[in-house]
Amino acid sequence: MPAQQKPDEVTVQGIKEKLDNFADLENRELTAASGTGRLLFIKSITDPQIINRSIIAVFYEMNDPAAFAEYLAHYPGSKAVEDGKQAMDLMLGGYACVEVEGRLIFFDALKAETSGVSETVTESITQGPSDALTENLAVNLNLIRRRYQSAELKMESMLLGNISRTKAAILYDDSRVNHQVLEELRQRLQTLRIDMLQASGELEKYISSDKIRIFPKTIVTERPDRVVFNLAEGKIAILLDTTGFAMILPVIFNDFFVAMDDKIQLPFVGRFLKLLRIMGVAMTLWLPALYVAFTSYNPEIIRVQIALLIAGSRATVPYPSFVEVLLMLIMMEFLTEASLRLPRAIGPTATTVGGLILGQAATAAGLVGNIMIILVSVVAISNFMIPLNMMSFSIRVLKYLFVMAAAAVGLVGVVVCLVGFTMYLCSQRSFGQPYFKMFVLDSLGASDSKKGGGS
Amino acid sequence: MNQNRYLYWMFLMNSLLNILNFVPRELLDARFKGAQTSILVATVLGTVFLSVFTLLIAKFPGKGIQDILETALPKGVIIPLMIMFSSLWCVAGLITILSFVDITLRFVSPDTGPHLVILSFLVLVCFCARMDSLSVLYGMEMMLAIILPLIVYAIVKALVNPDFSWDSVLQIVTYSAHAPDWKSIAAATFSFSGYFNMVVFNRVLPKIKMKHSWIFAVNGLAVLLLTFYVPIGYFGTIGVERHVYTWFSTADSIRINTFIVERMLFVFYFAYLTLSLVSVTVHWHVGKELLTGLFRSRKQAKARTKLWRDLSALALFSGITIAFMGLDQYQLNQFGVVFLYARWAGELFMIMLLFYCYAVAYRRRNA
Repeated sequence: MPAQQKPDEVTVQGIKEKLDNFADLENRELTAASGTGRLLFIKSITDPQIINRSIIAVFYEMNDPAAFAEYLAHYPGSKAVEDGKQAMDLMLGGYACVEVEGRLIFFDALKAETSGVSETVTESITQGPSDALTENLAVNLNLIRRRYQSAELKMESMLLGNISRTKAAILYDDSRVNHQVLEELRQRLQTLRIDMLQASGELEKYISSDKIRIFPKTIVTERPDRVVFNLAEGKIAILLDTTGFAMILPVIFNDFFVAMDDKIQLPFVGRFLKLLRIMGVAMTLWLPALYVAFTSYNPEIIRVQIALLIAGSRATVPYPSFVEVLLMLIMMEFLTEASLRLPRAIGPTATTVGGLILGQAATAAGLVGNIMIILVSVVAISNFMIPLNMMSFSIRVLKYLFVMAAAAVGLVGVVVCLVGFTMYLCSQRSFGQPYFKMFVLDSLGASDSKKGGGS
Repeated sequence: MNQNRYLYWMFLMNSLLNILNFVPRELLDARFKGAQTSILVATVLGTVFLSVFTLLIAKFPGKGIQDILETALPKGVIIPLMIMFSSLWCVAGLITILSFVDITLRFVSPDTGPHLVILSFLVLVCFCARMDSLSVLYGMEMMLAIILPLIVYAIVKALVNPDFSWDSVLQIVTYSAHAPDWKSIAAATFSFSGYFNMVVFNRVLPKIKMKHSWIFAVNGLAVLLLTFYVPIGYFGTIGVERHVYTWFSTADSIRINTFIVERMLFVFYFAYLTLSLVSVTVHWHVGKELLTGLFRSRKQAKARTKLWRDLSALALFSGITIAFMGLDQYQLNQFGVVFLYARWAGELFMIMLLFYCYAVAYRRRNA
């Protein structure tokens, strides 16, 4: 058939060049007495059984390259291509490329890995895909490559850890990534001298340059769609074998407040949700501190009715407000930690005993004010509005700093802490890139130059 | 445009901060004399200074003031110059801190000791001023974005208040035909001197260009006029002279009916505390950079020595601040006014120096 004749511009050599830096590219020569053929496929996304049974075995059984070519061309699912772009699409879509008798035939060998992929646990969303990364690197690559079918998605692999020999894969979009960051990452990984490496969060600790780290500088996620979304933004993903989490870098502060279903919602709903999360962070940081400042130092700031209300609810409380706040906050942390470790079956007991009974009894006994209970619940709830766990834990610890400052100098302390917090965030860099600033204003001046880029 | 906005933020910060640095005090003292013409003259002069300075320093992209001076002046001249300029910035921050400590004790926390308050300010400022120049700029922008809405709200709320006496304002306007006087002009130009921080930030903002200077003029004029007229609208033409921190007393006269915080004073206080902390950070960062620049050696200093240098410069500034805590309100006011004049003279001097350096560089290039 003339349609299946090899077009001039598509060659095995060409495909290989386009897919260079693909560590999972397999390139085999098939040699039989009667002739030779060449087999090219991407290992991570193709099924070795199909390739063995339907291509390699048949090639040697037939022992006749011309007939084998005819066999392949008529096999359901095999395709011939017109141009290089289509060839690339097929290769990335799980096709194996067979060159025999001067013909180039693409053979469908897609491995759709579904077993073992479970639902997301730590980052659940309402709508959208719910598959999570698994402990198997090949499966993870499959989950990602299936979502990101572009020849620009490069992959480099290496072994980390002297004993654990953990397989690691660095994924990036070659046309969008910041090569300076990539170079820095490679350098840091090459100079890594460790024995064991078991988790993505652990890796962050080893490759980050600063000694004191208050905020996470990389995203650790279990969602393949988040990985893909970030890859398309020019970020780098590191996948580790044996862990179900990917690491994304460099990140900015705002990345931690993006949930994957923001995009699914209507734009104004998405913005609203993001605003809610930022308000949640503000609440969880400030509320306890402001309570201390308002009750112990500056009750005149708030309306007199509210001040009286708080004073009334605190009438029986026998110690200063910051002791009350610290007591309740610590109690809440105990509850959170305990319900995390408890087996599913007795989990509800902890919440009932801790939350309902303890809260009721504490106010009835006059140990804490009623308003304090409300406040602690708000703090606890709003803290967990942050979609990514690492950030939510950082914020959880930082609120104590604000409480301390408020206990020391009142409202002044809270404001001083706020300024220090913001300035500290601004001084942070994630792999040399700014971590926190008015990114909105940066893109205003640059108009569309950033938004472009091929699809 | 992308980098020019930082120049605007620096300008805006100083412009809004004039309330703390005794500018309204000076202007209101001259309200029956030449204050209003002085504001106009200061707007023109301030914009000219700003434009000329920015044009000149843009001829030396990526260079700090010390690098620029080194091209044209001998080392023996540069050292006293740098010490002089860095003390100017040290004092700028010092006055802001001291007047804010005074305001805090007077309006917000009368029962917290002054030492505790000043200590918390100093710790924060020293921590922040140590960061690198770009981070300081990012932080400044972020904080301004948070507090600008609050300040705009306070001003709008002040102007739409039915008790605002427009008659008093109009009466003061009838005194606008007096000749301007130097004292008021020197005070009012403080509103425009935010650009002065560029002597250090020029290193990290090499692409600054002077564009749309009318925005600076209009903005500066608007801020100065508000600074001047709003307190008069609240306290009357005579009563306005009885307040030390005129604007904080003004804010305390405004009530917010529909919010959990009832007195505008606290919203205003929050905004200005944030603003002044950021401004002191910026000023001391500049002062510190100028001072430690003197100890620069040709080879790259170790991180540890740099840390010690930064810390000792900032400790010096803090020490001076604490030493000045003994000043009472009247002395602080006098000191602030002297600083306002000294700063203006410093600006003029700096522009002349830059011009000289540019002339030298120009002659060298053409020779």
